[in-house]
Amino acid sequence: MKAPFSKYLDSLVPGLRRLIGILEQDYDYVSVLSTDSKGLIVRISQHSKSVGNKTMTTERGTVVRVYKDGLYSEYALDRFDPEDPESAAGEIRETLEAQAEVLRRCSAEVFETGKLSDEPLEFLVEKETGSLPEEADLSSLVEQLAGISDKGMSMSEYMLDCIANAQSTHICKLFMTKNRYLRQSYVYSEGNVAAILGRDGQNRIGYAGVSGLGGPELFEKLSEKLEYAVSSGVEMLDADRIVPGEYEIITTPEVSGLIAHEAFGHGVEMDMFVKGRALGAEYIDRQVGSGLVTMHEGALCAENVTSYAFDDEGTPAGDVTEIDGGILKTGICDALSALRLGVQPTGNGKRENFEHKVYTRMTNTIFDSGTDSLEDMIASVQHGYLLEGVQSGMEDPKHWGIQCIVQMGREIRDGKLTGKVVSPVIMTGYVPDLLGNITMVSTDRGVFGNGGCGKGHKEWVKVSDGGPYLKTVGRLG
Amino acid sequence: MMDKYIEILKSCGADAWEITDTKTRGWEFYFIGRRLDQNRAKNVEHINLKVYKLSEDGKSLGIASAEVSPTESEEGIRAAAESLVYQASLVKNRPYKLNQPQQVKLPDAELNPLAAEAEGFIKTLQGIEETETEYLNSFEIFVNRNEKRLVTSEGIDITQSWPTAMIDLVVNARKDNHEIELYRLYDLGSCEPDQIRQDIQELLQFGKDRLLAAGTPKLENTPVVLSTDAAVYVYQYFLSQLNAAYLVRGVSSCEIGKPIAENIEGDRITIKALRELPGSPCNYAYDEEGAPIRDEILMEESVPKKFVGNRMFSQYIGLDDSFIVSNWSVSGGRKSADELREGEFLEIVEFSDFQVDSMTGDIFGEIRLAYYHDTKGTVTPVSGGSVSGSMLDNIAHMQMSKETRRYSNAEIPSVTRLENVVIAG
Repeated sequence: MKAPFSKYLDSLVPGLRRLIGILEQDYDYVSVLSTDSKGLIVRISQHSKSVGNKTMTTERGTVVRVYKDGLYSEYALDRFDPEDPESAAGEIRETLEAQAEVLRRCSAEVFETGKLSDEPLEFLVEKETGSLPEEADLSSLVEQLAGISDKGMSMSEYMLDCIANAQSTHICKLFMTKNRYLRQSYVYSEGNVAAILGRDGQNRIGYAGVSGLGGPELFEKLSEKLEYAVSSGVEMLDADRIVPGEYEIITTPEVSGLIAHEAFGHGVEMDMFVKGRALGAEYIDRQVGSGLVTMHEGALCAENVTSYAFDDEGTPAGDVTEIDGGILKTGICDALSALRLGVQPTGNGKRENFEHKVYTRMTNTIFDSGTDSLEDMIASVQHGYLLEGVQSGMEDPKHWGIQCIVQMGREIRDGKLTGKVVSPVIMTGYVPDLLGNITMVSTDRGVFGNGGCGKGHKEWVKVSDGGPYLKTVGRLG
Repeated sequence: MMDKYIEILKSCGADAWEITDTKTRGWEFYFIGRRLDQNRAKNVEHINLKVYKLSEDGKSLGIASAEVSPTESEEGIRAAAESLVYQASLVKNRPYKLNQPQQVKLPDAELNPLAAEAEGFIKTLQGIEETETEYLNSFEIFVNRNEKRLVTSEGIDITQSWPTAMIDLVVNARKDNHEIELYRLYDLGSCEPDQIRQDIQELLQFGKDRLLAAGTPKLENTPVVLSTDAAVYVYQYFLSQLNAAYLVRGVSSCEIGKPIAENIEGDRITIKALRELPGSPCNYAYDEEGAPIRDEILMEESVPKKFVGNRMFSQYIGLDDSFIVSNWSVSGGRKSADELREGEFLEIVEFSDFQVDSMTGDIFGEIRLAYYHDTKGTVTPVSGGSVSGSMLDNIAHMQMSKETRRYSNAEIPSVTRLENVVIAG
């Protein structure tokens, strides 16, 4: 079925057109983004169980962007009355004028930016989904998750709790200017199992998830993840601490995705180029990785949790080749940064929700596959680790530093997995070294969308990332 | 509209219910260098409905919640409420009693107007003294006025107003063609110009030192000193261990009256929940479930005195007077900050992302700037490598300075010394 576009948003269209017309009397450019995204979330553990409708991306509201004298300003509201756009226009003008007065008192200079183009464009995209969160069979879903939690508890004597989460969101967004009228509707879902284990005062958490474009039907695959969540948690209870040092490493597709995201995701967000915050700006058309490294970014390059048709500034979605054969080709860009840099926007202008500002943000960030088999990769390692399970990551685009925290490393000696596990593992290093040392790339790859991404320590958005198994050298602690 | 929500929830068949209506007016200013990149404002309202449904035999309690838009029709709200009652009937929790009304004095709700507060922040940031080589790359200012009303079926009806603010800041330091940056996110209650200036000047000095930093040597078991906001995560680990949810799940083994470790050789830790902490963005009188927040000693000299948490988990461990902690403090230790900086140690002031896992106690962080004090007293700025370890190995040996310092909603010792962490250079 197609995910139907919001009737509520359709009902706003005449009023929003009038609002744009009114504001254009005072401003040189006016756009509106209205959202109506509904969701469901079910969380079942042995000790608490709840159902709700609020996910990370559910929202209903409108943000208005206006431009005058080189400055862009925005106003977010959630009580827009399509019968009375005059009062919204009055509220917007009055507030922005009050802000302008404060800025005048502060003698604030404006970082002048050109006017966004407003080429005519009109489309409606309703993506395929198996079902909608609004129509989910909650009774069955609760039963399924409770079954997973109960079964998990029976799988190890060290289980303290087993948490099964499922959430699904039906995104509907409307973008309008004088000449643009874009509508999109799609559904994404994600679920996870967290196995919490404890022994002798030591706690460990095994984790596994599913994600993708589509509705609650995706949760059928969640049961398959239980065994890994529990068994990896048990392995971590028995794990040793790693001896810090530099090792040959093989990253699983999930860890490869984390590297893609942290290394050349944040590092080529071009709003950072505007601020002079990213080393990537100086490395366009230069070698940043081995010849085996090719990486794509864009809402169109995978079908996952952030595969939209247009971004939050009304730019159609893209698929950018960021790194081609180890050469950094380009970055990703929101519309205002593109104006300032004199480049084309890539469809990566995203907001946490309508209340938040647009920044250049990632969508799907993925390494291309190669020609090696995992078996050959393991066989080639003298002493190193197969890194598995993602916990978190952090980048430093100014210096291409990277920090990845992964759940565990499986020891490899003389080309064979020894069965010894170390946990947890922190991988740090210099991005060009990490990518430059990639010597083998597997044929298969995975894409994962269970994570969220912040800009600094805020502005959380959904992203997905992934890739194949990669063999490189990394500093582990 | 609140009357309408109350009427609908009263008649929807729920055994109990809560309505939370949060209104926020916010102003935001984004600067690149000293120039205004963008200004923004918001006027938004978030309405959350929560219903509770007892099973027919009274042995289980279902919970379901939904956010409804302020533009939702009466028909839509009614449908949402009925749907919530059905959803709640699907999940079975151990029953517990909801909070009952309790009157406490609300803080003075007279807040500085948004315009005046925003002007104070902008002028403070504009007034930061820069040099040719250390300067502000970009900053973002967020100023909010929040009002929250909580109404419940148990008779709670509370309206609280409080201010919040945030500064997102990047500073640069440059020498010839080499430039570095440091990042901070300050969570604040209101504009305190002197404190902001002091914090940013400290950051600019860190930037200058990072330019000179050598690679972190292999130090392995050298003691680590934390003297910036990263240390908050160390103490949050202890606070989490006192949370009722952690006790119910079995991930905390804390017991009232029993020391958290044997043979404690370092400083013993005392943690207090605070109703109010000057400058905090969390100065409100009631928690989100309507329980009054009060000053309370939670752990004294490393001995748990009182557990805290939300209503559900608190009731599950038999607490009837608990609350969700908003502000908290950790008392200082026996030595001064200078005394803790004796001998060989690595003082880490900047991490990429320092973490202390509240469930496992694992410690991680990539070092962006640290000062290595060797046995001869020489101080060398270093960068790179990582620190890792476990809180379980540090509880009995960590030391805290007498002096304290506030970060957001927590006041902690200004210097914390960890003896058992591994430094990978």
